Amino acid sequence: MGPGESGRPLLERLQEALRCLPGVGPKSAQRMAYHLLERDREGGRQLARLLATAMDTIGRCRECRTLSETEVCALCANPRRDRRLLCVVEHPGEVAAVEQSAGYDGLYFVLGGRLSPLDGIGPEALGLDTLRARLDAGEVEEVILATNPTVEGEATAHYIAGMARVSGVKATRIAHGVPLGGELGFVDAGTLAHALAGRRLLE
Amino acid sequence: MNVPSGTDRERLHPACVLHRRDYGDTSLLVEIWCPERGRLPAVAKGAKAGKGARAALLQPFRPLWVGLAGRGEVRTLTRVEAAGPVLLGMGKAVYAGFYLNELLLRLTPREDPQPRLFDHYLEALEGLAGGADMGACLRAFELRLLTALGYAPPLEHTADGRPVQPGGVYGYDPQRGPVPVPVDGFRIEGATLLALAAGRPLQGGQVRQARDLMRLILDTHLGGRPLRSRELLRRLLSLERKED
Repeated sequence: MGPGESGRPLLERLQEALRCLPGVGPKSAQRMAYHLLERDREGGRQLARLLATAMDTIGRCRECRTLSETEVCALCANPRRDRRLLCVVEHPGEVAAVEQSAGYDGLYFVLGGRLSPLDGIGPEALGLDTLRARLDAGEVEEVILATNPTVEGEATAHYIAGMARVSGVKATRIAHGVPLGGELGFVDAGTLAHALAGRRLLE
Repeated sequence: MNVPSGTDRERLHPACVLHRRDYGDTSLLVEIWCPERGRLPAVAKGAKAGKGARAALLQPFRPLWVGLAGRGEVRTLTRVEAAGPVLLGMGKAVYAGFYLNELLLRLTPREDPQPRLFDHYLEALEGLAGGADMGACLRAFELRLLTALGYAPPLEHTADGRPVQPGGVYGYDPQRGPVPVPVDGFRIEGATLLALAAGRPLQGGQVRQARDLMRLILDTHLGGRPLRSRELLRRLLSLERKED
């Protein structure tokens, strides 16, 4: 790179670049830049190298579309996972959330968003043709729809459930309801309605 | 209604969210539709942060009470309360709801109060949620929307002023109305035109004719950009046909 893009000082440009991170405004960006330059140049160099490598190397898993540096991610490649279960989530971060719940040993499919016609996000943008091929392949017996309980998330779940029925795969929706440790009086009416509609038999 | 400006900040307006998107990390930019104010953009600061259920409330298809502040083009949402349950939450009807919202976003000007159209909108959502015929709900709302905007399409009289005959077959010129010969291969029965005008239920082949007529008319107002929700709804319906 040549000296100073449009002649502005590097320090200024560094602060501006840091603001691409979520939750970082001008003030935090300034603190970060001064911190790295004054106290932790080695950490800064390490960060720069790793950022460059990560941006170039991390792509998407061919099977589940989550972020992965290998063509097939570790989860999809793991022979101990139950390949008959497929959990559909909106974002890669939600794979990590479900994994932490420790109750699930199937595989995932990451949409990368949700159907939102008013934003121009249709089935192609979510890789639903890849998902359809997966459902048609016959290995998956149950698809668990873990999209978020927003209007668009529900619409997405409805669409995929339709695809699953066409492919002869059972579709289930995760339950929504009262949080553990919560009290009914503080739960909003919509959640409570969902919890009531999704009640189950105590045996 | 004349409300002193001092209390305006505290006043709650009935409203629905037509669309929302993320704004920064924790805020939402919502397109709000108020019967008394019209359609306007507003920011809900910090709606996604903390335990407050504002992001959960600020979703389409739910009647709300909202408090608005600010004078600029984009207002600030000061309060949000539910005015009723979610009207459309699941299933095919939600896709029809997206279509209504997209029509409103594309065709209504901002800050143009339409209290009666707002009531028709809630009525359409309730109909869709209650399992009423989707086509009938959509056609009725499309007509009411066009009428409210001053584009009411002529249905009962031909372009040259003659009454439409139930037994007749017509073409349609979006600028002038029914004409005696098909236009671009489009034909519609007089009985369909009259049933649409009177809000009577459509039978058999009339359903499709009415849909195509409304599409023809709406497209002239949409300036060539297709409706995304219409395409998605079409694909969902074709998926459902495959299930049978």
